[in-house]
Amino acid sequence: MTRLAQPPGRLPGQGSVKTAQQALSSLTARRGGLPPAGIGLPCAVPGRRPKGWARVVRCQLSSPQRPLQASAVLRRVSDEQKKEPLASSSQQQFDSHPTDPQPEQEPQGPRPSYTGQGGQESEDYESEEQLQHRILTAALEFVPEHGWTAEAIAEGAKTLGLSVAAAGMFHSDGSELILHFVSQCNTKLSELLEQEQKLVQLGEAEKKPTDQFLRDAVEARLRMLIPYIEKWPQALSILLLPHNIPSSLNLLTSMIDDIWHYAGDQSTDFNWYTRRAVLTGIYNTTELVMMQDSSPDFEDTWRFLENRVADAMNMGDTANQVQSTGEALVQGLMGAAVTVIMVESLPIFSISQPLSAYAKRILR
Amino acid sequence: PAGGVSLRLCSTRVALEGINKPVIDRIIRVDHAGEYGANRIYAGQMAVLGRSSVGPIIRQMWNQEKDHLKKFDELMVAYRVRPTVLLPFWNVAGFVLGAGSALLGKKGAMACTVAVEESISDHYNSQIRTLMEEDPEKYKELLQIIKQFRDDEREHHDIGLEHDAEAAPAYSVLKTAIQLGCKAAIFLSERI
Repeated sequence: MTRLAQPPGRLPGQGSVKTAQQALSSLTARRGGLPPAGIGLPCAVPGRRPKGWARVVRCQLSSPQRPLQASAVLRRVSDEQKKEPLASSSQQQFDSHPTDPQPEQEPQGPRPSYTGQGGQESEDYESEEQLQHRILTAALEFVPEHGWTAEAIAEGAKTLGLSVAAAGMFHSDGSELILHFVSQCNTKLSELLEQEQKLVQLGEAEKKPTDQFLRDAVEARLRMLIPYIEKWPQALSILLLPHNIPSSLNLLTSMIDDIWHYAGDQSTDFNWYTRRAVLTGIYNTTELVMMQDSSPDFEDTWRFLENRVADAMNMGDTANQVQSTGEALVQGLMGAAVTVIMVESLPIFSISQPLSAYAKRILR
Repeated sequence: PAGGVSLRLCSTRVALEGINKPVIDRIIRVDHAGEYGANRIYAGQMAVLGRSSVGPIIRQMWNQEKDHLKKFDELMVAYRVRPTVLLPFWNVAGFVLGAGSALLGKKGAMACTVAVEESISDHYNSQIRTLMEEDPEKYKELLQIIKQFRDDEREHHDIGLEHDAEAAPAYSVLKTAIQLGCKAAIFLSERI
């Protein structure tokens, strides 16, 4: 059951919009997404500032490589919608303020102030990128049902009141949806860590020891996958496709860097790399374990995470121990060697004089 | 352990918005690598010539390089810059260069100092130019630091000349070779 959300930039007169919406859904249902070809294309009515979909159309037209059908459909649909309220009473125009329940990214401009020219873009122009973000965010709701596919994107577009053909803006394998989701999760994690840091700075919270911090950060990040856990293996395999690898690697490395940064890492030598490599390993293996985990609230996964983080901490200690043992060993051997040489070289005392003279000349 | 890295309460950071991150990244990464390498070069020279007459002078220059390195460590954390992967390599290469030039004698060590310091001050000059072109106001602090360090390196260069660097064996060949190596090191450290 698709929600009849208010489409963006809807013109005044609630009743007329519902009719338009219904007309739209009947149109899209009829031909699997494309309205019948017979719909005329009236030009933009003078006095109406283009909003919402028409604006999208303008930026769509500027990037011709994206399917033109999408833009044509959107244009038809928007004009379809504009026709309907026009037919209804025009006195209602200036009466009610159009309420827009959706949190819009574009600021509502002063009404009514119609520029009158169809081709102009007004101040609250929504960029294509912002629109794509909105569609993808809306699409996430449908992922548990449809997976990371163009169907989910289409459903998301429908809830925003756009045509399902808006999914044509994106790759057919759902890559952008997954990347958008990962990017969103990373941003949420950064904000979470930033807030925690503020609390510690204000003295309202205890500073956590490193292993605890890493454990909590990785757990928080992995918990964001829980609603989508069924379809996540599919997402992982898509992220490994060659054309996605640069972006997904980028997202992964920046997340790991963020976690270490908030953990208080200040290394400026090769440790910088080893720490991030170790944490990346921990994160990836824990993610894989989580895919297979069926314990209540993923207890096994968190226990696995705890063990891996403990291993990593031990690794650091072990490395130091090996190094100091090695140094001690070398010193012992050197001492033994010097003793042996001293004992054996007693008869060679005769050349010590010229040897030291040579050394003095070199070092002068 | 003292050699380990300290984890503090939170990483200090400067306002990272509005700066040209790629440019600043490169600048700090290569400067950090440069000071690290210079550190190791002086360490190598001290290992051979530490007890000679130029020992104290080399030690003084070495201490200044240590201060420079510490400053760049702080900047690296503040700007969240990644260090170059080649640090272990510069570790060894720097020490070998320092020790090798010192084995050619005191003048050889001074020649190496002159070559390296000339390279570094030219490099700092071009960085100052870049930052001035970008936005002198925004990068005021960084500019100040680099200018100060450039003056220090210039001073080292002059000290080297004072101590008969030019009388070193095969001075021009040595100088050209070392400066070529420095150029390559700068190129690589900026990118990798």
